[in-house]
Amino acid sequence: MATPPRKPRNREMLFDSVIALVFILVACVDFCDGATVVDVYRLIQYDISGVPFGSRLASLNHHAASLHFSPHADLSRTVLLIPLRELNMSFVQEYIVAGKPLGGLIFLLPQMFNFESKDGAGSNGDDGSKELLKSMLAELEQILIHANLPYPVYFAFEDDNIDAVLLDIKKNDASGQPATATTGGYKFVVSATEPKKVGSPPITNIQGWLSGLKTDGDSHQLPTIAIVASYDTFGAAPALSVGSDSNGSGIVALLEVARLFSLLYSNPKTRGQYNLLFGLTSGGPYNYNGTRKWLQSFDQRLRETIDYAICLDTIGSWENELWIHVSKPPENAFIKQILEDFSSVAEELGVQVNLKHKKINISNPRVAWEHEQFSRLRVTAATLSELSSAPELLESTGGLLDGRQFVNEAAIVRSVKLIAESLAKHIYGHQGKNVQIFADNSNLAVNPSYVRSWLDVLSQTPRVAPFLSKDDPFITALKKELEDHTDEVNVQREILDGMFTFYDSTSAKLNIYQVASVTFDLLLLLVLGSYLIVLFSFLVITTRGLDDLISLFRRPPSRKVKTA
Amino acid sequence: MTVFHFFNCAILTFGPHAVYYSATPLSEYDTLGTSVKAAVVYLATALVKLICLATFLKVSESDSFDPYQEILKALIGFIDVAGLYFALTQLTHRNISQNHKFQAVGLGWAFADSVLHRLAPLWVGARGLEFTWEYILQGLEANANLVLSISLAALGSLMWLRKNKPKTLIPIIYLCAVIVATMPSITSYLRRGLGWHLPKVVGFELFTSLVMAFISWQLFSACQRPSV
Repeated sequence: MATPPRKPRNREMLFDSVIALVFILVACVDFCDGATVVDVYRLIQYDISGVPFGSRLASLNHHAASLHFSPHADLSRTVLLIPLRELNMSFVQEYIVAGKPLGGLIFLLPQMFNFESKDGAGSNGDDGSKELLKSMLAELEQILIHANLPYPVYFAFEDDNIDAVLLDIKKNDASGQPATATTGGYKFVVSATEPKKVGSPPITNIQGWLSGLKTDGDSHQLPTIAIVASYDTFGAAPALSVGSDSNGSGIVALLEVARLFSLLYSNPKTRGQYNLLFGLTSGGPYNYNGTRKWLQSFDQRLRETIDYAICLDTIGSWENELWIHVSKPPENAFIKQILEDFSSVAEELGVQVNLKHKKINISNPRVAWEHEQFSRLRVTAATLSELSSAPELLESTGGLLDGRQFVNEAAIVRSVKLIAESLAKHIYGHQGKNVQIFADNSNLAVNPSYVRSWLDVLSQTPRVAPFLSKDDPFITALKKELEDHTDEVNVQREILDGMFTFYDSTSAKLNIYQVASVTFDLLLLLVLGSYLIVLFSFLVITTRGLDDLISLFRRPPSRKVKTA
Repeated sequence: MTVFHFFNCAILTFGPHAVYYSATPLSEYDTLGTSVKAAVVYLATALVKLICLATFLKVSESDSFDPYQEILKALIGFIDVAGLYFALTQLTHRNISQNHKFQAVGLGWAFADSVLHRLAPLWVGARGLEFTWEYILQGLEANANLVLSISLAALGSLMWLRKNKPKTLIPIIYLCAVIVATMPSITSYLRRGLGWHLPKVVGFELFTSLVMAFISWQLFSACQRPSV
């Protein structure tokens, strides 16, 4: 027999090949990792009088590429993963403004914009690059809000997982192999249902009433001073629009002023002869729609008792200059009075308050400041703001940039002091006297920890009105807080009317899969097939001999010979 | 595409069993019945093993290697050997030679093991979108397991069925049988005690299975010589 000596040699050959195969596999395995899941926040989708804006799709199932894609590649079935740090405006111009086809877009924001991260406050990078990122994000947000993008657009935050994925994708792109169905790579999947219209978006206004002291026998109604702040936000990603400055700072200031005056009004001796009306209004970004509904719901007599209204808007990051925006001419007696009260207190605090007059145009639907809604109903009003000029529609409404770390607590504390002190001057008639009621270290001092805790809460609560339900815990909390400081609280539930339509599904989970290509599968099939054939031949040879194997292939022709 | 991957992995996991059956003389002597019976015995053994594991083993919260538990597990693993003993000696087969009997039993044993342990995870996992090497490695593991099962069956048939074997080889046969039977515990130790990754473990399994197959084949032919 000649076969026995051959057997060990065959086995050794198989040995070697198997070990080699194993080593190849071991070398490849290091690159693999499991499916990654990332929280993503969708770009807002809305219509203005039927004209579509924002991202029009939610579900995503495409291969990923980075910004280093080859210039001639067809990107209509590719989702681009773009870190904000690497974004260049020429890309934005070419793809977003000019509307070149894309499969989808995912923007990676640095952690410093994440309101959920604890270490976000100023730990990343130097101030120069931070300012650059901020201005870039602001520009990008405005472009995205006003674009109509027929593909899903999401925001995500940089973390180790997605950075590793991005690095891999870049490596693939650099090697000139863009990810498609045939070359493998990463697949991004967001399984979401088609966004549905938010039917009758709710707006909820909360008002608190602190009544003044009525002297006996006085039949006249007491005059009223209103302090108003709009609390909702609007931004590129509704689930990320926390609006710490616009208008979280205004809400905090209003709550603190309410708290201070509730202390004063609880004692009959210090109770002023003015009613105080606190209003937290919704619908701010949409031409102060909620404010208008709130004012319209007022009794005519009540409206007439309002001496003036102070609206607070974006007062959380100013240095030493605040603006009082009015729409009545500065010669008006009330306006003069307001300015006088404020500027005298400002002088004591060492800051500057300037008056800015902007006439309202009744035929123009745009309402840039909250006080303009009051003025339209002939109620004297002014807006206190750090912004020197009126923002455009959907601008400075608490978007992506408006995070907690960009707000200065001290500025809010100063604003509260300014507002409270000048109100007190007016209420108690201390004009011209140097009296400090809310002096530091007195029991009426502004409480910085109260300001801070409310600011923290607001900076973690996205407040885009259409996505805030009527009984949202946040609204309940605001109501409860006002109830603590005022005599009577009313909640007005309305429906946002006007030209805006919103669509839901604001956040989702992004699944990142590493997928094998079809070519790899084909190759694997080929390898496995040859492995089985080799195994078969090897087994036949070792157990039956080589002749049997050859005869296996010879058999069919020999049968033919027989039949013939 | 992912069904394609599942198909590939299934070929790798179950293909060698079919190839082994059709390529060797097993198919010519129609030993399928024996294999099926061995598979049934395997199922019964697996059930007994499960009951034993559930009775005697604590559920460990951590994935760490606990020597006492592992020894217990290895002892329970020897139920496999008992099952194999039953399959080799007690089952009445048609008149097939010892040579084919152990191969048929080992093949049925390994195939039942593959179906029981790998088919469901493969069906659930390999059709997912995410690509991992895991299922390919599991397929390779199934191949190693096939070789080990046949080796163990060969050693078992030497121990229990062959009467006139050289005295000097008996301790070696028993030693090899013990090594092969404790293979699951050894790989479990490598994976959890030493923290080896799956590719390394599978490589080790493939390597040792081939070594053990070579040794048992040499032992088998050495035992056969006097009778020839």
